[in-house]
Amino acid sequence: MNQTFACSRSRLVFIFAITLFPLGSTRAETPSETLTFEADIRPIFREHCFDCHGANNDFEGGLDLRQVRRQISGGDSGPAIVPGDAEDSLLIQRIRDHEMPPGSAKVSPEHTDMLIRWIERGAKTARPEPEEIPDGIGLTPEERSFWFFQPLTRPSPPSMDDPRIVNDIDRFVLARLREHQLDWSPEASRRTLAIRVAYDLTGLPPTRDSLEAFIKDDQPDAYTRWVNTLLDSPHYGERWGRHWLDTAGYADSEGFTNADQPRQWAYHYRDYVIRSMNADKPIDQFIVEQLAGDELVPPPHNNLDAEQIELLAATGFLRMAADGTGQGGVDEPLARNQTIADSLKIVSTSLMGLSFACAQCHDHRYDPILQEDYYRLRAIFEPALDAQAWKNPTQRRVSLYTDSDRTRAAEIESEAQAVAKEKGEKQKVYMAEALAKELEKYDEPLREQLKLAYETSAKDRTDEQKALLDKNPSVNISPGVLYQYNQAAADDLKTYDAKIAEIRGKKPPERFLRALVEPANSQPETQLFYRGDHRQPVRTVAPGEATVLYDEGQRADLEANNPDRSTSGRRLAWAKSLTSGRHPLFNRVFVNRIWMHHFGRGIVGTPSDFGNLGERPTHPELLDWLACELADQGWSLKHLHRLIVHSYTYRQQSQIDAKSAELDQDNQWLWRYPVRRLEAEIIRDKILTASGQLDPTFFGAAVSLKEDDTGQVVPTQDTRRSIYLQVRRSQPVAFLQAFDAPIMETNCDRRVHATVAPQSLMLLNSQFLLDQAKLMAERIAKDAEAQISDDQVPRIDSALQRIQSPWSYGFGKEEESGFSFEPFAHWTGSSWQGGEKLPDAKLGWCTLNAQGGHPDAELAVIRKWRAGVDGQLTIEGKLSHGSDQGNGVRGRIYSSRTGLLGEFVTHNQELATQVDTDVMAGEEIWFVVDSRGKQSFDSFRWPVTLENSNADLKWQSDSDFQGPGGSSIEKQVILAWWLAYQRAPEIDEFDHVTQWLKQQVKYDSQAKNPSSALQQALISLCQNLLGSNEFLYVE
Amino acid sequence: MDRRSFLAQNAMGIGSMALAWLLNEDHARANPGDAPRSLRQFDLSLKDPHFQPQANAMISLFMHGGPSHMDLLDPKPELQKRSGEDYSGDVKYSFVNRASKKLLGSPWKFSHQGECGTEVSELLPHIGSIADDICVIRSMHTGFNGHEVSIRYMHAGIPAITGRPTLGSWLVYGLGSETRELPAYMVLSDPGGHPVDGTHNWSSGWMPPLFQGTVLRAKEPRILNLDPPQRLRDGLQEQNLELLNFLNQRHLQQHAGEVDLEARIASYEMAANMQVAAKEALDISQETEATLRLYGIGQPETEEYGKRCLIARRLVERGVRFVQLFLGGQPWDNHNHIQKNLTSVCKRTDQPSAALVKDLKQRGLLETTLVHWGGEIGRLPVTENHGDPKTVGRDHNGQGFSTWLAGGGIRGGMTYGATDEFGHKAVENVVTPNDYQATILRQFGLDHSKLVYFHNGQEQHLTAGRPSQVISNILQRPPKPDAIASTHKP
Repeated sequence: MNQTFACSRSRLVFIFAITLFPLGSTRAETPSETLTFEADIRPIFREHCFDCHGANNDFEGGLDLRQVRRQISGGDSGPAIVPGDAEDSLLIQRIRDHEMPPGSAKVSPEHTDMLIRWIERGAKTARPEPEEIPDGIGLTPEERSFWFFQPLTRPSPPSMDDPRIVNDIDRFVLARLREHQLDWSPEASRRTLAIRVAYDLTGLPPTRDSLEAFIKDDQPDAYTRWVNTLLDSPHYGERWGRHWLDTAGYADSEGFTNADQPRQWAYHYRDYVIRSMNADKPIDQFIVEQLAGDELVPPPHNNLDAEQIELLAATGFLRMAADGTGQGGVDEPLARNQTIADSLKIVSTSLMGLSFACAQCHDHRYDPILQEDYYRLRAIFEPALDAQAWKNPTQRRVSLYTDSDRTRAAEIESEAQAVAKEKGEKQKVYMAEALAKELEKYDEPLREQLKLAYETSAKDRTDEQKALLDKNPSVNISPGVLYQYNQAAADDLKTYDAKIAEIRGKKPPERFLRALVEPANSQPETQLFYRGDHRQPVRTVAPGEATVLYDEGQRADLEANNPDRSTSGRRLAWAKSLTSGRHPLFNRVFVNRIWMHHFGRGIVGTPSDFGNLGERPTHPELLDWLACELADQGWSLKHLHRLIVHSYTYRQQSQIDAKSAELDQDNQWLWRYPVRRLEAEIIRDKILTASGQLDPTFFGAAVSLKEDDTGQVVPTQDTRRSIYLQVRRSQPVAFLQAFDAPIMETNCDRRVHATVAPQSLMLLNSQFLLDQAKLMAERIAKDAEAQISDDQVPRIDSALQRIQSPWSYGFGKEEESGFSFEPFAHWTGSSWQGGEKLPDAKLGWCTLNAQGGHPDAELAVIRKWRAGVDGQLTIEGKLSHGSDQGNGVRGRIYSSRTGLLGEFVTHNQELATQVDTDVMAGEEIWFVVDSRGKQSFDSFRWPVTLENSNADLKWQSDSDFQGPGGSSIEKQVILAWWLAYQRAPEIDEFDHVTQWLKQQVKYDSQAKNPSSALQQALISLCQNLLGSNEFLYVE
Repeated sequence: MDRRSFLAQNAMGIGSMALAWLLNEDHARANPGDAPRSLRQFDLSLKDPHFQPQANAMISLFMHGGPSHMDLLDPKPELQKRSGEDYSGDVKYSFVNRASKKLLGSPWKFSHQGECGTEVSELLPHIGSIADDICVIRSMHTGFNGHEVSIRYMHAGIPAITGRPTLGSWLVYGLGSETRELPAYMVLSDPGGHPVDGTHNWSSGWMPPLFQGTVLRAKEPRILNLDPPQRLRDGLQEQNLELLNFLNQRHLQQHAGEVDLEARIASYEMAANMQVAAKEALDISQETEATLRLYGIGQPETEEYGKRCLIARRLVERGVRFVQLFLGGQPWDNHNHIQKNLTSVCKRTDQPSAALVKDLKQRGLLETTLVHWGGEIGRLPVTENHGDPKTVGRDHNGQGFSTWLAGGGIRGGMTYGATDEFGHKAVENVVTPNDYQATILRQFGLDHSKLVYFHNGQEQHLTAGRPSQVISNILQRPPKPDAIASTHKP
């Protein structure tokens, strides 16, 4: 604890200032020759001053800074500025003294200098200022000229000539690269590209066969077919649906309160998104359905067909915001308005790339969004999201019951009610009994007085009676505390609850949609709230789009009510306007996000903020071109994917070129494809794929979660794709959270990719990883022999061969030259035998399990053990036969070097089978059991122990017993590489790993013999592969 | 290769850039001004407090269940005198069927302790012996009788609400961590299991899990995911890391200069460091015989709690910011058999608790380490179970109870506040959990109204915007009146 607290205040202030008021790149860095108020100074005031001196009509200190003329005339303390004399300007003095602005965010020194220079040079304006201006900060031509608000037109690609160019995307990118003296990197290898695009489009690794086939495919359209297969895969929707769910803020719980109520039916929306993606539903339709699907389904919603269900499920988009309404203990008006505000935040960040929320209290501090614009947006949603006529989440569910379901349910409910009535009567009796018993503790006349007081209803009690009950609190029995008096009674009442539940359980299962449905004829007024406070409405506003999108003096209001519909039609009209084809905000924002998911970073780096505080586009023309191309090609997202993944830009390799890195370290001009860490869900899915556990079931209710005994949240069932795990805001799945899966506060515009030690600990020691590594090791042991051919093994390591399990299991016949031996081909999970069922057509009753087995009439069963080292061997065992019928069995022990070592016959008894012998490395000991000619009643047990006294090693036939572990170690290593990396190991890796395996065996002091140490080492190998960078990153 | 050489080799191979990235310390950004709001990066790097701190670490001996203050720290002569009579005040009960209005005097004697003369019950002789170092607050008040309701209030600022970050989370969020090898916020759980309310007790709520309490479990694995599974002990995991390092270095060679890959390699190294450091911190065999004896290690009643108190000191010595000890079940929840049960839990905890303060003091650590002893509620002055002497106990009481603080700039040798003459309700200088929290933060140099976390677009504070006052009178260096603006918002 030698840390001292160097007490500089500034650092903390800085940290919080960043969180509170991130400094945008205003024009501070490039002051124009002539500073003008509109271009240079107003953004500073907008950021720091207008909140109190301009945005609202109650100017603090009487000072209005919106015009230079008003600054000069000043407020209560006199003029704010004196043109030509910065030193004498009160504004400068107050800023310098840190009196203004109040709070921790101060005007930066650069901006202060600019203010001084501007005043010194006469406090110029760009144009004469009018006498009168409307309320609020308003919009200047300078602000209207910001790139994002300019009309969207389709740019022509620059004419570029380069043989590598695949499509127009490349022309835009190459032009930028050339401008910066950069060039593309070489094309990635076919394997790298195939894997990259597979994770990109489906989030799952390609199968080995398909990958190999693609690499060998030399047809010119091979890559196109590869991409098409991925886009046609139903896993595509899971991958890209997840991206959209981030944007929509998908969660399976309500949030807001700490109870964080689960949202049982949210999954219909999740499934809608996946289905829509898979169907390549045109994006305009996709957006219209999510914003206004309910307006397309005429009421009543009693017997919905599949298409109508889809349309209503789509509106789940507008129900994703945290919603605490209807839960106990919340400030209901606040909760409703917060839910509406969050919904608008999701809508505006996801579809318009602007933080409209900042304009809730006053005109936006950085962007030309008026406070009125915020409420015009809110008015579009008000008929459906009406704080005055609000339904809480339970009340507003849309039932998928049909009329016949309803009738049936009502019948069953009346049965349940009958039982409930019975329960009520019983409860009365129990209460009376408990009271009587309690009263026995009191003598008369107190007893009778208490009884009377208790039975008098609370409002009719006399003061005397009240005092009496107060003094004797234990008489105050209520149903809630009945258990404290008579546990048996309380238990009995509970059985009624169980009965009632059972009866109700017979109702047809009722499913619901979590949807947004606008009630008929809902025309609430939308109020602009003073400083965003819902308790202080100021004036009514009409629905409409942001003012800045229209020319000065113009503005289009949306029709407040469409007389042809039962709903207002506002959302439908707005959704159609957004998706009309050339919307400057929506089109750009949508394609930017698609680009971001392909390249790890958007053309605009801040996908939810295209405004002043956001980043500027690196490739503005490309952004506009893509924004038009999407709409012009029938809004097909898959078309856009095809264009992008076919481009040379996408197909580059990812290695860092030192020269290019010097010029553009962040790769913003795309001179390479970035190395990217996979997202949390994809890492988990990939692990499950490698271990062979992934259950590819699509859709349905969320997989529930549980806390393990240390409070880590884990899924109750660990095999489904991560998108199907419950998204509980208060209970993030530990593994996913460690790898930066978002916790949905509102929505997630892009993920962070942290690199911290707890992730490493998770990969090293978490039960999930340990389990999956073990399962993967079992898988390679089982499958490697069949999946890896001999010619793929670069070299055989005889030392490893010797360590491999010494046991093998088969059957044979006694012949003149000795016994034949053939290994069993079928493993049941616990036994080796001829086929799944006994008797087998060929091998009859032959079977071997951990303890013993059963021979067939003609065939003996044989357990073989191979010595790894020379030594003195003690073989101990007990051969037992447990039936007095039949003729028993015969066990014989042979050495492959010296022949018969012992012979034991047993019938309905147990026999010790000890043998001592010298062995030499490579020698085999056979344990042969035959039927003595008759196969009936020949089940036997014969566990044996072999101890090599020279080498201090021990083997046990029962605990060593295993299924297909017989794959050669080399092949297991190769298969492990395939499963983890989708490639075979290089020779140096192969050699390193085989050496490492031998070392592991040597150092494993806990293992009882080398073969079990080797098994453990293979598990560790799998775990290392799953935790390695090549596994976690895609290049 | 042993771990040391593995680490050495790795450390050589890691660029300082990668390390900075890993630690999230001011990692180079071309344009810091462009940092978008949505990308809040959280880290454990040290942060400057708002003003000169008095404490830099805290150990909380959380005595959940409701220690019976009128039997332990708050003598009530009037209650003794009128024991057996009916109480005239209003009482809220949790257990109605056993409720009664008969006053119950304490069966235990109080006596003046230390130079200060603070009265402490004979049940707590060891705590009595540190009376000059502790400040007993006798006017704690949650207003709620329920355990969970009040526990959540004490930990996280609002009664009954779960899902909020706890005190330890706020301290680590506000100040960062002084150790890179141990978690900054550690919870020492009881072999008897988790306390009431389980993992909520150390939740980081809506803060990232970086700020959540790490449970030092009473059984293996002591820290979750920290230790290799049994199968990989004795050096096997080191060899695993060697293979992993081979794989990663080979991969890195193909992506030379990729900072994130280097950082991830380094993060494995840090994980390995944590394994070594944690093991060392838990190894009390390095302590002297006298120290072990001080904590009661070696005596059956105090062995277990004594070890945990000692480990708490070792953790704080190694830079852990906040350590909290819990008991399994509810040993202070003496609804019945209070004579036997209260004696037993005091025997178990009294000596180790006092030893912790003495030990910190003799090592010069008490000045900067704040020690807290106390629960979430107290108990009623009236008897439960109708005064049956065999089974008598006391029901819950959130209206008034006692707690004590020591070290970290807290004035020792004093009492603060008072309950009424029966010990039922706090009546003088009432201290709410929010006041307690504001005071703790103050001692760490943090202004509770300025320590802000943004959640759901709103500023959040530990004290949740509820009325909260720093209890200046119990501080060695009370703030000047104008130094703390209790309602100021940035």
